[in-house]
Amino acid sequence: MLFAVATVVALWLQTEVRLWLPAGALFPDLVLILVVDLGLKQHNALSAVLAFAMGYATDACSGTHLGLNAFMMTLIFLLSYELSRHVWVTGKVIGPLAVALADLLRTLGVMAITGGIATVSAITGPHMRLIAIQALITAAVAPAIFSLLDAGKRALRLPVRVAAE
Amino acid sequence: MQDPKDTFLWRNRVALVGGAALLLAAHMLSSGVKQGDTLARPQGLVAEALRPFQVASARMAQSAGDIFHHYFMLVHVGRENQRLKEEIAQLNQRQARMVELELENHRLAELLDLKEALDLKVVAADVIGADATGAARTLILGQGSGAGLQPGMGVIATGGVVGKLISTSRNASRVMLLSDHNCAIDAFVQRSRARGIVTGVADDGVIMKYVERTEDIKTGDAVVTSGLDGVFPRGLLIGSVGAIERQGPGLFLNVAIQPAANLRKLEQVLVIVQTPPHLSDSGAS
Repeated sequence: MLFAVATVVALWLQTEVRLWLPAGALFPDLVLILVVDLGLKQHNALSAVLAFAMGYATDACSGTHLGLNAFMMTLIFLLSYELSRHVWVTGKVIGPLAVALADLLRTLGVMAITGGIATVSAITGPHMRLIAIQALITAAVAPAIFSLLDAGKRALRLPVRVAAE
Repeated sequence: MQDPKDTFLWRNRVALVGGAALLLAAHMLSSGVKQGDTLARPQGLVAEALRPFQVASARMAQSAGDIFHHYFMLVHVGRENQRLKEEIAQLNQRQARMVELELENHRLAELLDLKEALDLKVVAADVIGADATGAARTLILGQGSGAGLQPGMGVIATGGVVGKLISTSRNASRVMLLSDHNCAIDAFVQRSRARGIVTGVADDGVIMKYVERTEDIKTGDAVVTSGLDGVFPRGLLIGSVGAIERQGPGLFLNVAIQPAANLRKLEQVLVIVQTPPHLSDSGAS
């Protein structure tokens, strides 16, 4: 429920703020941060379904191919989940780092799937810089969102971290 | 007896469920789920759930934007007339709303003029949201299938062509802008009749593809819809020719297009719900 509400709020912010920001301005991908949080901290089957649902909800407000964000978000969830199984993820750096990498993966993945690999290889220097800055902005916001989510979980008496075994 | 929690399925349940979800998403992607399909139906619910917030915040942001804009006007005047600052502030605050109403009236009047001039059956819609991730060039409109909108319909604004509808729910819809690299609009250069496909490129530009190298084309030439794609009637202004790249070994020219409609500042658009046959048959306007 917490993640469902958070997704609706995140999508609302993303669709509205982007509309009123000046041309070319970047805005963090809040839903992506939620999915990475799920992958790093919530190790249960429902989390995988939630990640898919969050991607599907994003598809309703973004992109031109239904299933594209659902695919990328589920993939990012699985990669974050695998990362958390092999790396100590309680440090302050690993979360934002995972978010930055996930943002890069999502942007390039979406471009590759919708426009073909040639689109990715044709990315110009300035455009690549923009993609990298977008990833850094999302990563910079991530600790605050992680803290908000943890606070929300505590308020609802939910475990902050759920281990698989 | 083996503990159920010690089985392969239980130990790998997250990866297995995630993998299944990934396969479902891949299936949706590869099969190109259409509007009305079972897998596409919940999408409408999401759009409908978000719509009230988007409509409310779009209105609030518009008012806030006016106040912000007029505040800067006030600062400018205040430098010249320091002692009148407070008075001007009050007047400007009051005027801001009136100016906005006037601008809105002007925009709607322009849309009405365009609607009457085109003699097309159109539906006016407010822009209530942008693309959630910025990965695609799409906008969310505050009208949906309830107003007769369907995916594939053309969208125009006072300046010119805006894009095509890609999905609709009862009270909202999404339009793919012509600056999106998945958008393709059959077009020709009005002066020389050179044909091509207008589409977006990844870094936010608009180009005209498949224009033969031998074609007569100059900077500033008007580019209009051909009417051959069955979406737009012939002769709607798309934009003007910007840079033309004649270098390179390819068969076609690289033609940059400057869109006639300001795709970054759209507030109201018209959706063409019906294209009269006589417009498609007539010459370019």
